[in-house]
Amino acid sequence: MTDISQDQPHRPPRKDLDPRVRLDIAVGVVFVIVAVAAPFMIDSKYLIGQLIVGLFWAAIAAQWNLLFGYAGVFSLAQMAVFAMGAYGTAMTSIYFGWTIWPAILAGAVVATVFSLLVGLACLRLQGVYVALLTFAIANVTYLLIVSDTACFRMEGTTCLQFSGGAAGFARFGDFGMRQLLRGDWILGNYAIVLAGFVLTMLVTWIIIHSPMGLAFKALRDNSSYAIARGINRFHAQLLVFGISAFFTGLIGGLYAAHFNAIGPNIFSVSTLLFIMAIAVVGGIGSFWGPVIGTIILMVADEFMRDMGQFRTLGLGLIIAVCVVALPRGIVGRLSDFIVKRRAAASAVSKE
Amino acid sequence: MSDPNPHPALMIEGLHAGYNGPDVLHGITLSVPKGQIVTVVGPNGHGKSTLLRAISGLVRVRQGRVMAAGEAIHDLKAHQIAARGIAHVPQGDLLFPEMTVYENLLMGAYCEADRETTVRRLEAVYALLPRLKQRHVQYASSLSGGERRMVGIGRGLMAGASVMMIDEPSLGLAPLVIEQIYEVIGQLRAEGRTILLVEENPARVADLSDVMHLLDDGRIVWSGAPAEMLDRGELLSTYLGG
Amino acid sequence: MDVFFAILVTGLTNGALYALATIGLSLVWGSMGMLNMAHGAMLALGGYVAFTVAATLGLPIWLGILSAALVGAVFGAVLYLSVVRILLKSGGPGFETSVMIATVGISIALQNTILLVYGGQPLRQPFNVQGGIALAGGGVMPMLNVVIVVVSIVVMAVVGLVISRSRMGRAIRATAQNRDAALLMGVPVERTYLQVLALSGALAGVCGVLLSSVTQLSPTLGADPMLKAFIMCVVAGLGNLPGAVITAFGLALIEAGVQFGLGARWGFPVLLMLVIAILIWRPNGLFGRAQIRRM
Repeated sequence: MTDISQDQPHRPPRKDLDPRVRLDIAVGVVFVIVAVAAPFMIDSKYLIGQLIVGLFWAAIAAQWNLLFGYAGVFSLAQMAVFAMGAYGTAMTSIYFGWTIWPAILAGAVVATVFSLLVGLACLRLQGVYVALLTFAIANVTYLLIVSDTACFRMEGTTCLQFSGGAAGFARFGDFGMRQLLRGDWILGNYAIVLAGFVLTMLVTWIIIHSPMGLAFKALRDNSSYAIARGINRFHAQLLVFGISAFFTGLIGGLYAAHFNAIGPNIFSVSTLLFIMAIAVVGGIGSFWGPVIGTIILMVADEFMRDMGQFRTLGLGLIIAVCVVALPRGIVGRLSDFIVKRRAAASAVSKE
Repeated sequence: MSDPNPHPALMIEGLHAGYNGPDVLHGITLSVPKGQIVTVVGPNGHGKSTLLRAISGLVRVRQGRVMAAGEAIHDLKAHQIAARGIAHVPQGDLLFPEMTVYENLLMGAYCEADRETTVRRLEAVYALLPRLKQRHVQYASSLSGGERRMVGIGRGLMAGASVMMIDEPSLGLAPLVIEQIYEVIGQLRAEGRTILLVEENPARVADLSDVMHLLDDGRIVWSGAPAEMLDRGELLSTYLGG
Repeated sequence: MDVFFAILVTGLTNGALYALATIGLSLVWGSMGMLNMAHGAMLALGGYVAFTVAATLGLPIWLGILSAALVGAVFGAVLYLSVVRILLKSGGPGFETSVMIATVGISIALQNTILLVYGGQPLRQPFNVQGGIALAGGGVMPMLNVVIVVVSIVVMAVVGLVISRSRMGRAIRATAQNRDAALLMGVPVERTYLQVLALSGALAGVCGVLLSSVTQLSPTLGADPMLKAFIMCVVAGLGNLPGAVITAFGLALIEAGVQFGLGARWGFPVLLMLVIAILIWRPNGLFGRAQIRRM
């Protein structure tokens, strides 16, 4: 039994020596190096395009992971928020004539406002009720867009709806890389998207490791500790809705600018499920989970591209097997492994 | 008449158990002889509930053995242990909120195949705890604290178990209600039942118990007759804060 | 007046089908905390099994329904043994999402397997039910719809009796309300989970047969009903079976009314907006109480 009077004086933890932080920095550096080197080692424009798409999915999954994995909010509106960012970019560009960068920022703001409204609606809800409400809102948004048939403006004889309708928007603006780099324009886009991705992940990392991140985790764990420390549940929930939406919307804007087109197909349930599968396979509640999950699922998808009819079947099976074999995701399995090795090592050293 | 089974009702040897991290219980050894009331006391959070949960199978036994009437049960699943005649009345009652008192009691006899035996046991429970009979169509979620505790005990009795394990029967109850609960336990003792009792405060259970064990920080630090424990003032103050 | 009867017939038929689908989902959710995203594919599976038995093998229809229930039950059992049991062991709080994603994967695999085996073009169930029942006021309810409603109600009544009166039903309810306590009573919780998934699979199978007889048989048959069942389940308050049935009929009638009144494409959006309003007004569902996750 411990004697309290002999407790050691409390020393503040030194963050820069925390091994987990060092690991994150190391992995981050390796990732950036590989990502920057990649386009110089890959010739195929198609593959670079896929890398860009992968960066998009990873970023969205990371934001969904922030919302669900860290703050425990089971939102199914992620793609609607993303769409708000993309549509916001397209529409400010078309209707106000803004250049692409202000338009992207506007998209992020629109997405944030939308998400805050959703967050308000969800304030009293918990668990799967949040899932249902966010799903309903996302679906209603989709249906409103798709059923918009009134002609807002005419281009020649083509009828164009205010919200883009079923066809969506196109040719509203891009990063201007074709003028700059001509044939290699996709490399320019890659660089921009990579920068956006790194910025998003960096800010996300900082948030997770800040007092705000603790507040989010308290939200998830619903502990009395949180209330005792004066963490306001409602504030924290709105905050996480807003922050994750800003970056999701930003990525949405980058997506719209990269493809120079956006349509309601982005709302599809299969895209949302793919994002969630990425987060789960990688490891919910872990920082690198979304990145690893994206790599694995996109590689799997690529391999099965040649399988024609069996492609979807194969993807479904792979997802199921991954989740069953690795219930806490790949990152979860890795950290279990590391913990076991450390325990074994310290057990040996104790003898 | 000689006892056909010479083994104690419960025999625990070198028990180690824990939840997700390190062991909470470190090498617990104690026995519950047939027909006796054995009480485990000690400060909260030191493993008393974990001990009962390890015996009943809700928590995995990492090391050591648990024998019920000579049969090893530490490798069995919780529902199998319950079927072997170990009734665990858990802390916090754990009643079925959307079932009536009657249905809760009936669940206690889930393992009993013979309908007449079940009916007989139910009547005995109602005789012992007449308040339950009054409230038998009420939903468990609408009962008072004391009534809930009674349903928990009644449910445990319905199993026709050879050993009853009761976890802190006085927890969260008003003093008057606690008196009633202990009266019931006293009657169970008079019936010759075997009970493993867990309580925080030894004073209350001293005259009920045959043997007392003091559990501190996952270890049994003292065992003996209840009167002796009450006499040892320094024990009480060191471990239980007077 | 014609419109009134059209709404009534459609609403009742759809209500019965949604209720059947919803009960299966709600049972599994209530006792295991699991959202079975493969439920829709299991509906389709049931329809195709009945088709194979009745059309390809030429056996009587009731045998088709029985086979669908049987195959559904087996699939549910296998789902438990191969996927859910493993996830439950390691689960904890992550279990809900993991099982959701895993069953999504299974659903995709199952749907595509059906697609590969039977092809994508819609098939017609060989059920020929003629005639109808006259309703007070001059309407007629087609016999097929009557059969569907009657069969659904009978099946739900049987399930209700099993849940409330039988030993297995008590075990299921006990496990749903407090898993640890159920274990202490001697309830073999794992076997109960298996039974629940098997029962839910059988229900899905039967529902799929009935559904495909009013519409058409295709691999994606179950996607839309499962979505609506999920909505009704949650709106009613999870794990509440009678509430789910009432909600199913209620929302089906509203949906039918809106479709006939405003147009087919307004049915789902209005339903969703209603759901949004209900959830904001009653955060725990229409009939639900604040749930404490018991896993």
